[in-house]
Amino acid sequence: MTSLHLVRRATKVVVLAAVLAVTAVVVPQSTVKPTDVSLVRIRHAQGVAVGGADVVWILAVGSDARPGQDMRHARGDALQLVGINTRTGSATAIGVPRDSWVSIPGHGREKINSALYFAGPQGMAGAMRNLVGIEPDYVMVTRFPFFEDMVDDIGGITVTNPRRFYDPYLKKEGFKQGRIHLDGYNAMAFSRIRKALPGGDFDRSANQQRTLRGIHARIRSQASKPGFIERGVMTVMEHMATNASPAELYELAQAVAQVDPRRITTCVVQGRIGFVGAASVVFPDVAQARRLGHEARADAALEHC
Amino acid sequence: MLALVLALTGTACSSGSDPSASPERLSRDDAQASLASHPPLPTTTKIHRVHGRLPDARRKAVRHQVGRVVDRWWEAAYLGGTYPRSTFPSAFPGFTAGAERRARSDKALLTNQTRGPHVDSVTATHRSVALDILATDRRARAVTAHVVLRFESTGDKAGTTTVRGRLFLTHRRGAWRIFGYDVAKGSR
Repeated sequence: MTSLHLVRRATKVVVLAAVLAVTAVVVPQSTVKPTDVSLVRIRHAQGVAVGGADVVWILAVGSDARPGQDMRHARGDALQLVGINTRTGSATAIGVPRDSWVSIPGHGREKINSALYFAGPQGMAGAMRNLVGIEPDYVMVTRFPFFEDMVDDIGGITVTNPRRFYDPYLKKEGFKQGRIHLDGYNAMAFSRIRKALPGGDFDRSANQQRTLRGIHARIRSQASKPGFIERGVMTVMEHMATNASPAELYELAQAVAQVDPRRITTCVVQGRIGFVGAASVVFPDVAQARRLGHEARADAALEHC
Repeated sequence: MLALVLALTGTACSSGSDPSASPERLSRDDAQASLASHPPLPTTTKIHRVHGRLPDARRKAVRHQVGRVVDRWWEAAYLGGTYPRSTFPSAFPGFTAGAERRARSDKALLTNQTRGPHVDSVTATHRSVALDILATDRRARAVTAHVVLRFESTGDKAGTTTVRGRLFLTHRRGAWRIFGYDVAKGSR
């Protein structure tokens, strides 16, 4: 059985239905008979089914692979476990700090970011399962330059930044507080900067979730444009390593487009900073991680962080 | 077969309704009976854009096959069968099992169920489908079908109904199947 098969579970599921009602007033060209003005009720329905179960889980990994290095066997620095409920339109992201000290299948305890280096996407999926209790259906790995290209390809994103921060290397002029538009480079910098944030890696993971919200909003707003989803899938295939087929990527993209932004919940697994030997690590709050996994597994929704 | 021939010869595909879903049947109650007749207005199916490389013969095949899937849904959900009626038990041919389950809860929009009991006949006046095709390795993998159906109804609730939106299809078990939809319906 290949690693691909081990990671992939049968895509499942069913759908969602968001029904909204809008009305439009249609005015006839002639003004001779104003009583001809009629009210046209237009109703709208949408739904997607991408497999056999309601919720599909995707592990999104930002690899720090250097040029020429296989990004599937480098350190995974951005780790977000994303669940999409195609029945209800809800979605959730559980972020894990990269230095979290966890059990990696077949490799003992290590920082979770090394799971990709030691054991590839399958190992990273296993490490996430050990921590959160959810095995992802898909693993998608990209490297930061490719991530920048993808954000540029969709026209940039808008995020809500809770605090001003800067980084002397990645963003000297800093990011201002409030709603800000980010191109590919700035989305990368916004998602990577850690030292300037009071909560360090925990706050960085939360910023990555803000970036994901921005990407979702962009996809949702553009999805009805002919060809937008198709071009997006082509871009993902060009820039990502994934165990999803082109048809599955298309299905996932349509599922993402139908997520209701009001039903997105996010949380970062907390922990305490410590040392293993000379290495600084995060000892994750495993009980919290398991609780998040248990709460979100069936419906991709979190009530408490 | 006519549709197939047209698909193989034209740049735009025009397919008639599915003979097996022919609406030309009398209702059981002759007092209310009417032919749910509609002229054989063909569906115009064209390709908006192919994303990736796809040989011409396969483009034509996709256009024909997806056009037929859309036609079958329209016939089952709006145009075919006898009117008046209130039930649409098999309205979603060509949908995946999951999409069909979801669509059943959206029947008010995805079929003519709400007006069906008050309508004597329906006649299609516009049927068009435009496809965006995702292709890799010279094969079509997924299709977005942008659809517009307009039909006139006679009876207590006579009027014009427009169904417009997008259907999402992938190729499964040897056939194109609808796994998702984003559809609006309006009547006046």
